[in-house]
Amino acid sequence: MSTLLTYISVNNGKIKRSSLEVLSHCNKLAAENGHSSAALVIDANASSYTDELKKYGPSEIYLIEDPIFKNHINTPLLKALSRAVDEIEPVVLAFASTEGSKDVLGALAANKDAASLPDMSEFQLTGNGVKGKRPVMAAKIISSVEAETFPVFLSVRSGSYDVIEQESSPEIKTIDFLFSDDDLKLTLKEIISASSDKIDLSEAEVVIAAGRGVKDEEGRNLISELASVLNAGVGASRALTEAGDYDPSLQIGQTGKVVSPQLYIGVAISGAIQHVAGMTNSKVIVAINKDPDAPIFDIADYGIVGDLYKVLPPFIDELKKLKQN
Amino acid sequence: MRFVYCGAEKSGSKIINQTKPRSMKIYVCIKQVPDVYAPLQIKDGQLIQDADRNVLNAYDASALEEALVLTEQHGGEVEVVLVGPEKAKETIRKGLAMGADKGTHILTEGDELYDSHVYAKILAAFFKDKEYDFISCGKQSQDSDAGLTGSMLAEHLGLPYATNAVGLTHENGSLIVKRQGDAGQEMIELPSPGLVTCSNDMNDPRIPSLKGIMQSKRKPVETISISDLGLDDVAPKTKILGFEEKPTREAGKKYEGEPEEIAREVAQLLDTAENLI
Repeated sequence: MSTLLTYISVNNGKIKRSSLEVLSHCNKLAAENGHSSAALVIDANASSYTDELKKYGPSEIYLIEDPIFKNHINTPLLKALSRAVDEIEPVVLAFASTEGSKDVLGALAANKDAASLPDMSEFQLTGNGVKGKRPVMAAKIISSVEAETFPVFLSVRSGSYDVIEQESSPEIKTIDFLFSDDDLKLTLKEIISASSDKIDLSEAEVVIAAGRGVKDEEGRNLISELASVLNAGVGASRALTEAGDYDPSLQIGQTGKVVSPQLYIGVAISGAIQHVAGMTNSKVIVAINKDPDAPIFDIADYGIVGDLYKVLPPFIDELKKLKQN
Repeated sequence: MRFVYCGAEKSGSKIINQTKPRSMKIYVCIKQVPDVYAPLQIKDGQLIQDADRNVLNAYDASALEEALVLTEQHGGEVEVVLVGPEKAKETIRKGLAMGADKGTHILTEGDELYDSHVYAKILAAFFKDKEYDFISCGKQSQDSDAGLTGSMLAEHLGLPYATNAVGLTHENGSLIVKRQGDAGQEMIELPSPGLVTCSNDMNDPRIPSLKGIMQSKRKPVETISISDLGLDDVAPKTKILGFEEKPTREAGKKYEGEPEEIAREVAQLLDTAENLI
């Protein structure tokens, strides 16, 4: 029996939904192919996630716990992943696609001479490898790809699979890990974070995206008010993050975050392909733009042609009323 | 002890070059890629594109821009390295026209089958006996968006690395990399020799000037083959089976008219029709 291993990403003490999506899919593949589906947590408090993880059906949970994992640093993470791969010998190691996993996927694959398939939107097992699909050309095209030999290290775009709850009684195994500061090679000096009480954009069920037309404080206030009514994460187009109006970690698009919420509301977003590449998997898309020819309207389920300063106040007011009922 | 009197010192000017460190050497790995904005079509599962619409990968252009700025500020030399077919030479010229001092073209045939694994192996063989302070490259290619080659190369060379840089400064021989992470920006001190991969969010790459273009024609470009690197049998680990159009989303309904009315109407539909509120 071979193992499909899912790396569990955590953020601010919470398991990222996108890793549970990956774990759910690996559970299904393991059941269909007679393999086992295991979860791997590498964190300063790795053992604190086991109770939560049991709800999602892994047959084993592997833990690597060390204070060094308080913040993301690639050298210790690589060493821990390498150690886990040696110990568990998985045929597939699957990550949710995050900036953290993007940072180590290539190096780990090179270190283990493994095949690597990043940013997959779907994948299945073949007899000796993995087949699947991934978006290319700024997500305008879907490419079918295959790795013909195990092991395969891959990452999966958020929103590609549903999270399926499935209580299990996994065996919990701790993997020894020793890390000395001499192995660090580089130094994490400082983290400049966006406020940590904000909703994690890549995980949010509702996302409000602000575009170039949100040009002043009044506009930004309308965006935050809308977000607070809908309990939404706020993202922005590159124009606004570059202008410094929004934190760079909030950029949605090909080079920023990929979001796949139930509801996406683009406010004064024109729909440039780089931005669309990061939000096209949203379930329902609402666009508010005063230009009736904005390309965002070609993909929006509900397009409101109008000035955001005139549209948002009644829109927010109506949503508040609906929430109260 | 010997005293050396220097005229410059008397006149109060600074003496420079007395203890000048070896000047900084940065290699920038660049790639020629299809222009993702050019029209494209799919025929029998293959991607058909106008071969004249090949460009310098936008992320590599940002890496090169940043390397040029660093050497303009601190002195040093920038060399571009490209793995690609004969036609890709024009992209090396573009890099030289932007301001790189020289270029190496690792000439390939049949590189449409290459994956990140192969590119990283080729580049690792090239860098094996080179001396440098830093290797810099785009964080991904704009056509495949894979983002693997940079960290693979670092691993092969045993270099510390940082990915997804959105800002770079040079301090005491190290690079201070501002990296965009999941929850914020991580400031990383990357010692030399090291490798960094760059986002296109850190700068707007310069457009080559006419002078730059003229000068680029006189700058040296060395061409070497895969066999020169002793790599005749490096095989990809993954392959592309085909391409298909992304299923398009249907445009829904467009609401035009009195802002107050259409705003309320859509808000109600999100509740009644979509059950999202």
